[in-house]
Amino acid sequence: MSQINKLAYVDSKLGAPSEGQQTTRILFNTIEAPGTTSGLIFFKTFQGLTNGQTNLTQNKLDSMESMVIKTIWLAQYNTAGALVTFGANAGLQFQQTLSVLVGNQQVVKNLPIQFNQGVNGQAYDRLHTNAGAQFYGNTSRLEQQAQPCEIRLLTDIVIPPQVSFEVRIDSTNATYGTGAVVCALSGYGKIFSAGNTF
Amino acid sequence: MALSAQDKILYVANKLGLTSLKDMQASTGAVYDCDPEESGQIFTSAARHVNPAVTNLNTNQFEVNEALLVETIGFYINDIEESVGNVRNFQQVYGSNAVIVFDLIIGNKRTMVQTPVFAAGGPYTFANNAVDGPNGLVIPRNQVYLEGAGILIPPQIQWSVEYRIFNVVTGAVIPFEASLSLGCYLFGTRVLLNFNTSI
Repeated sequence: MSQINKLAYVDSKLGAPSEGQQTTRILFNTIEAPGTTSGLIFFKTFQGLTNGQTNLTQNKLDSMESMVIKTIWLAQYNTAGALVTFGANAGLQFQQTLSVLVGNQQVVKNLPIQFNQGVNGQAYDRLHTNAGAQFYGNTSRLEQQAQPCEIRLLTDIVIPPQVSFEVRIDSTNATYGTGAVVCALSGYGKIFSAGNTF
Repeated sequence: MALSAQDKILYVANKLGLTSLKDMQASTGAVYDCDPEESGQIFTSAARHVNPAVTNLNTNQFEVNEALLVETIGFYINDIEESVGNVRNFQQVYGSNAVIVFDLIIGNKRTMVQTPVFAAGGPYTFANNAVDGPNGLVIPRNQVYLEGAGILIPPQIQWSVEYRIFNVVTGAVIPFEASLSLGCYLFGTRVLLNFNTSI
Protein backbone atom coordinates (compact mmCIF):
# COMPACT_ATOMS: atom_id res chain seq x y z
CA MET A 1 0.00 0.00 0.00
CA SER A 2 1.42 3.39 -0.94
CA GLN A 3 1.75 6.25 1.52
CA ILE A 4 -1.14 8.03 -0.18
CA ASN A 5 -3.46 5.05 0.14
CA LYS A 6 -2.34 4.33 3.72
CA LEU A 7 -3.11 7.88 4.83
CA ALA A 8 -6.49 7.85 3.09
CA TYR A 9 -7.27 4.47 4.68
CA VAL A 10 -6.42 5.56 8.22
CA ASP A 11 -8.17 8.91 7.86
CA SER A 12 -11.32 7.18 6.66
CA LYS A 13 -11.18 4.69 9.55
CA LEU A 14 -10.96 7.59 11.99
CA GLY A 15 -13.54 9.69 10.21
CA ALA A 16 -10.94 12.40 9.66
CA PRO A 17 -11.32 14.87 6.78
CA SER A 18 -9.70 13.62 3.59
CA GLU A 19 -9.74 16.95 1.77
CA GLY A 20 -6.66 19.16 1.79
CA GLN A 21 -3.50 19.95 -0.11
CA GLN A 22 -1.37 16.85 -0.58
CA THR A 23 2.27 17.59 0.01
CA THR A 24 5.56 16.44 1.48
CA ARG A 25 5.65 17.43 5.12
CA ILE A 26 8.64 17.69 7.42
CA LEU A 27 8.03 18.36 11.11
CA PHE A 28 10.97 19.27 13.30
CA ASN A 29 11.65 20.12 16.90
CA THR A 30 14.76 21.24 18.79
CA ILE A 31 15.90 20.67 22.34
CA GLU A 32 18.40 23.27 23.49
CA ALA A 33 21.29 22.32 25.79
CA PRO A 34 20.13 18.75 26.51
CA GLY A 35 23.29 17.81 28.43
CA THR A 36 24.03 14.25 29.54
CA THR A 37 20.85 12.29 29.98
CA SER A 38 19.35 8.84 29.59
CA GLY A 39 16.22 10.15 27.93
CA LEU A 40 15.21 12.80 25.38
CA ILE A 41 11.64 13.58 24.40
CA PHE A 42 11.13 15.49 21.14
CA PHE A 43 7.88 17.26 20.22
CA LYS A 44 7.05 17.80 23.85
CA THR A 45 8.28 21.35 24.56
CA PHE A 46 7.77 24.26 22.19
CA GLN A 47 8.16 27.14 24.59
CA GLY A 48 10.84 29.62 23.61
CA LEU A 49 11.61 28.00 20.26
CA THR A 50 11.69 30.11 17.08
CA ASN A 51 10.52 29.18 13.58
CA GLY A 52 14.08 28.04 12.93
CA GLN A 53 13.89 25.48 15.73
CA THR A 54 10.44 24.01 15.20
CA ASN A 55 7.56 24.36 12.77
CA LEU A 56 4.86 23.36 15.26
CA THR A 57 3.38 25.14 18.25
CA GLN A 58 1.92 22.04 19.89
CA ASN A 59 2.56 18.31 19.69
CA LYS A 60 -0.33 17.58 17.36
CA LEU A 61 -1.42 18.42 13.85
CA ASP A 62 -4.34 20.73 13.10
CA SER A 63 -7.84 19.39 12.67
CA MET A 64 -7.66 19.20 8.87
CA GLU A 65 -4.08 17.93 8.68
CA SER A 66 -2.49 14.50 8.86
CA MET A 67 0.69 12.85 7.65
CA VAL A 68 2.66 9.66 7.18
CA ILE A 69 6.07 9.36 8.82
CA LYS A 70 8.56 7.76 6.46
CA THR A 71 11.88 9.14 7.66
CA ILE A 72 13.20 9.95 11.12
CA TRP A 73 16.20 12.31 11.22
CA LEU A 74 18.31 13.21 14.24
CA ALA A 75 21.17 15.67 14.58
CA GLN A 76 23.31 17.06 17.34
CA TYR A 77 25.15 20.38 17.25
CA ASN A 78 27.70 21.80 19.64
CA THR A 79 27.46 25.38 20.86
CA ALA A 80 29.67 26.56 17.98
CA GLY A 81 27.16 25.15 15.51
CA ALA A 82 29.25 22.19 14.33
CA LEU A 83 27.45 18.93 13.61
CA VAL A 84 28.63 16.08 15.83
CA THR A 85 27.61 12.45 15.95
CA PHE A 86 24.25 12.10 17.69
CA GLY A 87 24.69 11.10 21.32
CA ALA A 88 28.38 10.30 21.01
CA ASN A 89 31.27 11.48 23.11
CA ALA A 90 35.03 11.28 22.63
CA GLY A 91 34.70 8.89 19.71
CA LEU A 92 32.44 6.46 21.59
CA GLN A 93 29.30 5.44 19.74
CA PHE A 94 26.65 5.21 22.46
CA GLN A 95 23.85 2.74 21.86
CA GLN A 96 20.52 4.53 21.81
CA THR A 97 16.99 3.43 21.04
CA LEU A 98 14.13 5.40 19.55
CA SER A 99 10.42 5.11 20.21
CA VAL A 100 7.54 6.95 18.58
CA LEU A 101 4.27 7.39 20.43
CA VAL A 102 1.08 8.48 18.70
CA GLY A 103 -1.78 9.07 21.11
CA ASN A 104 -1.53 6.34 23.72
CA GLN A 105 0.02 3.86 21.31
CA GLN A 106 3.69 3.06 20.79
CA VAL A 107 4.11 2.76 17.03
CA VAL A 108 7.92 2.41 16.92
CA LYS A 109 9.41 0.55 19.86
CA ASN A 110 13.02 0.75 20.99
CA LEU A 111 14.47 0.94 17.50
CA PRO A 112 18.29 1.12 17.74
CA ILE A 113 19.53 4.19 15.91
CA GLN A 114 23.27 3.79 16.33
CA PHE A 115 23.57 1.63 13.23
CA ASN A 116 22.35 4.42 10.96
CA GLN A 117 24.65 7.13 12.28
CA GLY A 118 26.78 7.02 9.17
CA VAL A 119 29.90 6.73 11.27
CA ASN A 120 30.50 3.06 11.89
CA GLY A 121 29.89 1.60 8.45
CA GLN A 122 26.52 0.18 9.39
CA ALA A 123 23.20 1.04 7.75
CA TYR A 124 19.84 -0.67 7.71
CA ASP A 125 18.91 0.24 4.19
CA ARG A 126 20.49 0.69 0.81
CA LEU A 127 19.59 4.37 0.85
CA HIS A 128 22.50 5.07 3.15
CA THR A 129 25.15 2.89 1.62
CA ASN A 130 28.01 5.33 1.49
CA ALA A 131 27.47 7.02 4.82
CA GLY A 132 30.37 5.44 6.67
CA ALA A 133 32.72 8.33 7.28
CA GLN A 134 34.85 8.14 10.40
CA PHE A 135 34.40 11.07 12.75
CA TYR A 136 37.69 12.37 14.15
CA GLY A 137 36.19 14.99 16.41
CA ASN A 138 37.86 18.05 14.96
CA THR A 139 34.87 19.12 12.94
CA SER A 140 33.79 22.74 12.69
CA ARG A 141 30.71 24.60 11.53
CA LEU A 142 32.06 25.06 8.01
CA GLU A 143 34.10 21.84 7.89
CA GLN A 144 31.60 19.12 8.60
CA GLN A 145 32.94 15.63 9.29
CA ALA A 146 29.94 13.97 10.94
CA GLN A 147 26.63 12.82 9.49
CA PRO A 148 23.13 13.24 10.81
CA CYS A 149 21.40 10.04 11.89
CA GLU A 150 18.59 9.04 9.57
CA ILE A 151 16.32 6.01 9.38
CA ARG A 152 13.86 5.27 6.60
CA LEU A 153 10.91 3.34 8.00
CA LEU A 154 9.62 0.27 6.21
CA THR A 155 6.09 0.78 7.50
CA ASP A 156 4.13 3.97 7.02
CA ILE A 157 3.26 5.44 10.42
CA VAL A 158 0.26 7.76 10.36
CA ILE A 159 -0.16 10.83 12.58
CA PRO A 160 -3.88 11.59 12.47
CA PRO A 161 -5.34 15.08 13.01
CA GLN A 162 -5.34 16.43 16.56
CA VAL A 163 -3.65 13.41 18.14
CA SER A 164 -0.57 14.09 20.24
CA PHE A 165 2.71 12.43 19.33
CA GLU A 166 6.28 12.38 20.56
CA VAL A 167 9.66 10.83 19.85
CA ARG A 168 11.67 9.37 22.70
CA ILE A 169 15.37 8.53 22.74
CA ASP A 170 16.66 6.21 25.46
CA SER A 171 20.29 5.56 26.32
CA THR A 172 22.61 4.96 29.21
CA ASN A 173 23.55 8.55 29.91
CA ALA A 174 24.48 9.56 26.39
CA THR A 175 26.20 12.91 25.94
CA TYR A 176 24.17 15.43 23.99
CA GLY A 177 26.19 18.46 24.99
CA THR A 178 25.26 22.07 25.54
CA GLY A 179 24.37 22.97 21.95
CA ALA A 180 21.14 21.52 20.59
CA VAL A 181 19.62 18.30 19.31
CA VAL A 182 17.05 18.22 16.52
CA CYS A 183 14.53 15.61 15.43
CA ALA A 184 12.73 15.79 12.10
CA LEU A 185 9.90 13.56 10.89
CA SER A 186 9.25 13.61 7.17
CA GLY A 187 6.81 12.01 4.82
CA TYR A 188 3.66 12.47 2.81
CA GLY A 189 0.94 14.62 4.36
CA LYS A 190 -2.09 16.77 3.92
CA ILE A 191 -2.20 20.41 4.92
CA PHE A 192 -5.25 22.56 5.37
CA SER A 193 -6.53 24.08 2.17
CA ALA A 194 -9.57 26.30 2.11
CA GLY A 195 -9.98 25.72 -1.62
CA ASN A 196 -12.73 28.07 -2.78
CA THR A 197 -14.44 28.04 0.61
CA PHE A 198 -13.30 31.52 1.59
CA MET B 1 0.35 0.68 -6.87
CA ALA B 2 1.67 4.15 -6.45
CA LEU B 3 0.57 7.01 -8.66
CA SER B 4 3.09 7.62 -11.44
CA ALA B 5 4.35 11.06 -12.40
CA GLN B 6 2.48 10.88 -15.70
CA ASP B 7 -0.74 9.87 -13.95
CA LYS B 8 -0.44 12.80 -11.56
CA ILE B 9 0.12 15.28 -14.39
CA LEU B 10 -2.91 14.01 -16.29
CA TYR B 11 -5.02 13.98 -13.12
CA VAL B 12 -4.25 17.62 -12.32
CA ALA B 13 -4.57 18.67 -15.96
CA ASN B 14 -8.01 17.08 -16.09
CA LYS B 15 -9.04 18.88 -12.89
CA LEU B 16 -7.88 22.20 -14.36
CA GLY B 17 -9.52 21.61 -17.73
CA LEU B 18 -6.21 21.44 -19.60
CA THR B 19 -7.41 19.06 -22.27
CA SER B 20 -4.41 19.33 -24.59
CA LEU B 21 -1.64 18.75 -22.00
CA LYS B 22 -1.81 15.01 -22.58
CA ASP B 23 -0.69 15.51 -26.20
CA MET B 24 2.49 17.38 -25.30
CA GLN B 25 6.06 16.10 -25.16
CA ALA B 26 6.99 14.42 -21.89
CA SER B 27 10.52 15.06 -20.70
CA THR B 28 12.76 15.48 -17.67
CA GLY B 29 13.67 18.97 -16.58
CA ALA B 30 14.81 21.36 -13.91
CA VAL B 31 14.37 25.07 -13.33
CA TYR B 32 16.66 27.13 -11.12
CA ASP B 33 16.99 30.65 -9.87
CA CYS B 34 18.76 32.55 -7.09
CA ASP B 35 18.01 35.41 -4.76
CA PRO B 36 20.77 37.99 -5.26
CA GLU B 37 18.34 40.70 -4.05
CA GLU B 38 18.21 38.95 -0.65
CA SER B 39 14.44 39.32 -0.68
CA GLY B 40 13.67 35.93 0.82
CA GLN B 41 11.98 34.91 -2.43
CA ILE B 42 13.31 32.77 -5.23
CA PHE B 43 11.89 32.64 -8.79
CA THR B 44 9.85 35.84 -8.41
CA SER B 45 12.64 37.96 -9.93
CA ALA B 46 13.78 35.45 -12.54
CA ALA B 47 12.93 37.85 -15.36
CA ARG B 48 15.68 40.22 -14.18
CA HIS B 49 18.39 37.59 -13.81
CA VAL B 50 21.15 36.56 -16.17
CA ASN B 51 20.50 33.36 -18.09
CA PRO B 52 22.08 30.85 -17.50
CA ALA B 53 24.50 32.22 -14.85
CA VAL B 54 21.71 32.84 -12.35
CA THR B 55 18.57 31.26 -13.82
CA ASN B 56 17.31 29.27 -16.78
CA LEU B 57 13.95 31.06 -16.79
CA ASN B 58 12.63 34.17 -18.50
CA THR B 59 9.76 34.45 -16.05
CA ASN B 60 8.42 32.42 -13.16
CA GLN B 61 5.60 30.81 -15.08
CA PHE B 62 5.55 28.23 -17.82
CA GLU B 63 4.12 29.00 -21.21
CA VAL B 64 1.03 27.42 -22.68
CA ASN B 65 0.99 23.65 -22.46
CA GLU B 66 4.23 23.41 -20.51
CA ALA B 67 4.40 22.18 -16.93
CA LEU B 68 6.71 20.64 -14.36
CA LEU B 69 5.91 17.94 -11.84
CA VAL B 70 8.27 18.85 -9.00
CA GLU B 71 9.87 15.71 -7.55
CA THR B 72 13.05 17.13 -6.00
CA ILE B 73 13.71 20.54 -4.46
CA GLY B 74 17.35 21.43 -3.87
CA PHE B 75 19.19 24.42 -2.47
CA TYR B 76 22.69 25.68 -3.18
CA ILE B 77 24.74 28.85 -3.08
CA ASN B 78 25.50 30.90 -6.17
CA ASP B 79 28.52 33.16 -6.20
CA ILE B 80 27.08 36.31 -7.76
CA GLU B 81 30.47 37.95 -8.23
CA GLU B 82 31.22 35.23 -10.76
CA SER B 83 29.55 36.07 -14.05
CA VAL B 84 29.46 32.39 -14.96
CA GLY B 85 27.39 31.38 -11.93
CA ASN B 86 29.67 29.52 -9.54
CA VAL B 87 27.73 26.83 -7.65
CA ARG B 88 28.81 26.23 -4.05
CA ASN B 89 27.61 24.00 -1.25
CA PHE B 90 25.14 25.57 1.20
CA GLN B 91 26.68 23.95 4.29
CA GLN B 92 30.17 25.12 3.44
CA VAL B 93 28.98 28.74 3.28
CA TYR B 94 26.40 29.00 6.06
CA GLY B 95 27.65 26.20 8.33
CA SER B 96 26.17 22.96 9.55
CA ASN B 97 23.87 24.69 12.03
CA ALA B 98 21.95 26.59 9.34
CA VAL B 99 18.46 25.52 8.33
CA ILE B 100 16.40 26.84 5.43
CA VAL B 101 12.69 26.99 6.22
CA PHE B 102 10.77 27.40 2.97
CA ASP B 103 7.30 27.49 1.43
CA LEU B 104 6.56 26.49 -2.16
CA ILE B 105 3.83 28.73 -3.53
CA ILE B 106 1.96 28.00 -6.76
CA GLY B 107 -0.54 30.63 -7.78
CA ASN B 108 -2.10 31.82 -4.53
CA LYS B 109 -1.65 28.50 -2.78
CA ARG B 110 1.10 27.31 -0.46
CA THR B 111 1.74 23.74 -1.48
CA MET B 112 4.59 23.15 0.96
CA VAL B 113 4.68 24.96 4.30
CA GLN B 114 7.55 25.69 6.67
CA THR B 115 9.61 22.86 5.28
CA PRO B 116 13.09 22.63 6.82
CA VAL B 117 16.19 21.81 4.80
CA PHE B 118 19.08 21.30 7.16
CA ALA B 119 22.52 22.43 6.05
CA ALA B 120 23.95 19.35 7.75
CA GLY B 121 22.13 17.24 5.15
CA GLY B 122 18.78 15.59 5.24
CA PRO B 123 16.16 14.43 5.74
CA TYR B 124 16.58 12.03 2.83
CA THR B 125 19.80 13.45 1.66
CA PHE B 126 23.03 12.19 3.04
CA ALA B 127 23.26 9.04 1.03
CA ASN B 128 26.28 9.12 -1.28
CA ASN B 129 27.58 12.41 -0.02
CA ALA B 130 30.54 13.89 -1.74
CA VAL B 131 33.63 13.62 0.44
CA ASP B 132 36.50 16.06 0.23
CA GLY B 133 39.33 13.55 0.18
CA PRO B 134 42.34 15.39 1.64
CA ASN B 135 40.42 16.76 4.61
CA GLY B 136 37.85 14.00 5.09
CA LEU B 137 35.05 16.54 4.99
CA VAL B 138 31.46 15.56 4.36
CA ILE B 139 29.75 17.71 1.74
CA PRO B 140 26.04 17.17 2.28
CA ARG B 141 23.23 17.57 -0.19
CA ASN B 142 20.46 19.97 0.75
CA GLN B 143 17.42 18.54 -0.92
CA VAL B 144 13.88 17.41 -0.32
CA TYR B 145 12.62 14.46 -2.30
CA LEU B 146 8.87 14.81 -2.56
CA GLU B 147 6.86 11.86 -1.33
CA GLY B 148 4.04 10.41 -3.37
CA ALA B 149 3.96 11.69 -6.92
CA GLY B 150 5.25 15.24 -6.48
CA ILE B 151 3.53 18.59 -6.99
CA LEU B 152 2.52 19.93 -10.40
CA ILE B 153 3.25 23.48 -11.53
CA PRO B 154 0.64 24.00 -14.25
CA PRO B 155 1.07 26.17 -17.35
CA GLN B 156 0.82 29.94 -17.01
CA ILE B 157 0.68 29.96 -13.24
CA GLN B 158 3.32 31.89 -11.30
CA TRP B 159 5.27 30.05 -8.66
CA SER B 160 7.88 31.00 -6.09
CA VAL B 161 9.83 29.76 -3.09
CA GLU B 162 9.77 31.86 0.07
CA TYR B 163 12.49 31.14 2.57
CA ARG B 164 14.36 32.23 5.65
CA ILE B 165 17.64 30.92 6.99
CA PHE B 166 17.90 30.25 10.71
CA ASN B 167 20.52 29.05 13.16
CA VAL B 168 18.90 25.86 14.44
CA VAL B 169 20.96 25.94 17.65
CA THR B 170 20.05 29.45 18.75
CA GLY B 171 16.91 30.00 16.71
CA ALA B 172 18.20 33.32 15.37
CA VAL B 173 17.81 34.42 11.76
CA ILE B 174 21.16 34.21 9.96
CA PRO B 175 22.05 37.31 7.91
CA PHE B 176 22.74 36.84 4.22
CA GLU B 177 26.36 36.32 3.18
CA ALA B 178 27.63 39.15 1.02
CA SER B 179 28.03 38.36 -2.68
CA LEU B 180 26.58 34.89 -2.20
CA SER B 181 22.94 34.24 -2.97
CA LEU B 182 20.82 31.25 -2.13
CA GLY B 183 19.76 29.26 -5.16
CA CYS B 184 16.99 26.73 -5.57
CA TYR B 185 16.24 24.18 -8.25
CA LEU B 186 13.09 22.22 -8.91
CA PHE B 187 13.66 18.94 -10.70
CA GLY B 188 11.10 16.55 -12.05
CA THR B 189 8.99 15.34 -14.94
CA ARG B 190 8.58 18.09 -17.51
CA VAL B 191 5.92 18.67 -20.12
CA LEU B 192 7.11 20.55 -23.21
CA LEU B 193 5.01 22.25 -25.82
CA ASN B 194 4.60 20.06 -28.87
CA PHE B 195 2.88 21.44 -31.94
CA ASN B 196 2.72 18.08 -33.67
CA THR B 197 1.71 18.94 -37.20
CA SER B 198 -0.05 22.19 -36.41
CA ILE B 199 2.72 24.44 -37.72
